[in-house]
Amino acid sequence: MKSKFLVFQPWITLLFRLILGGVLLAAGGLKVGHLQKSAMAVRAYEVLPISLANLVGYSLPWIEIGIAIFLILGIFVKQSAIAGGVLMFLFIVGISQAAIRGLSIDCGCFGGGGQVAAGKTKYLVEILRDCVLLVTALVLSKFPRGKFGLDR
Amino acid sequence: MAKSPKTKNSAGGASGSGDNFTRWLVAGMVGLVLIVGVAFSLFSNRTNTAATLPSTVKQSDGYGISFNSNVKPVVDIWEDFQCPVCKNFESVVGDYINQLIVEKKISVVYHTLSFIGDESILAANAAACASEEDKFLPFHSLLYQTQSAKENTGLWNAKSLVELGSQVGATSEKFVSCVNKGTYAAWVSNVATDGAKKNVNSTPTVFINGIEIDRKTQYFDLAAFKAALVAGGLKG
Repeated sequence: MKSKFLVFQPWITLLFRLILGGVLLAAGGLKVGHLQKSAMAVRAYEVLPISLANLVGYSLPWIEIGIAIFLILGIFVKQSAIAGGVLMFLFIVGISQAAIRGLSIDCGCFGGGGQVAAGKTKYLVEILRDCVLLVTALVLSKFPRGKFGLDR
Repeated sequence: MAKSPKTKNSAGGASGSGDNFTRWLVAGMVGLVLIVGVAFSLFSNRTNTAATLPSTVKQSDGYGISFNSNVKPVVDIWEDFQCPVCKNFESVVGDYINQLIVEKKISVVYHTLSFIGDESILAANAAACASEEDKFLPFHSLLYQTQSAKENTGLWNAKSLVELGSQVGATSEKFVSCVNKGTYAAWVSNVATDGAKKNVNSTPTVFINGIEIDRKTQYFDLAAFKAALVAGGLKG
């Protein structure tokens, strides 16, 4: 049983790296060309002070792309997975508080974002997706060594 | 960055010190590109104090294009020429607002945001150029009338915006060169930065005397909008 796990684990790690990295790359890539919209999406959560929300909006897409490239290439997988996991945790907290407070916003995870009509929110799907990605990140931080990575 | 001790017995490809160098090299390059990206993003979204401003624009008005600055109520309209909901708003109250401006019964400040994309920037720049020809209002209306059903399709470019300008009488060489050169592009960016600072999170966003009117009831109903203006000090 143990040996079988040792055979599959590197491939699972590779798969998870590509999933988490791929999602983060898409998320960052779709936002990085629309930074005003990205900042708007962060402000709409009504958590951070305006100037800080704008700072996050302008820089978060780049950070997502950075973590994604590290994960896909397999560089500093453990640290990148932890960083990705922290992001997912913060996203879950952010979306949950928006849902609880009754804000009507789109999460802006893959571009877009900001206020939407009441009843057009998709908080449950967004939170579930980020939970799955959080688990992926946790597994990667535990088993960072995988196939086709520059780490060793 | 802190690293855990390397474990050679785990799975992976061939090892070697050259690979470790590659790892740091790649990490360094990715890091450098990202830092430059973040720095550029922060810098380009700052207010550019050297921007060429349209003549009706004051920094104190949040860089908006303003009409009748000394009349109450003061209406601030934050909009993006590519935003379909802004087109709705314009179709409901646009003519009424234009009429009140001509009659000098209200002050209006137009803040042309551009978060939807490049064509929003081109349109906002062209609107500022039209404002220099005293043709902002008809150009503003015409932009919404010709708005594309989809965003950034290429419908609005320097050529088509010059042509739209000519339809409202903005035909001077100055206007044409202003549209072609993007004379007010830095101003468009300043408007966006100001909107970010003022927490404008959707378009259209309309303030009367500095207070946002109710999105559910007062934006898309002419009678309710009129009532909001009267409450804000509009006379007869």
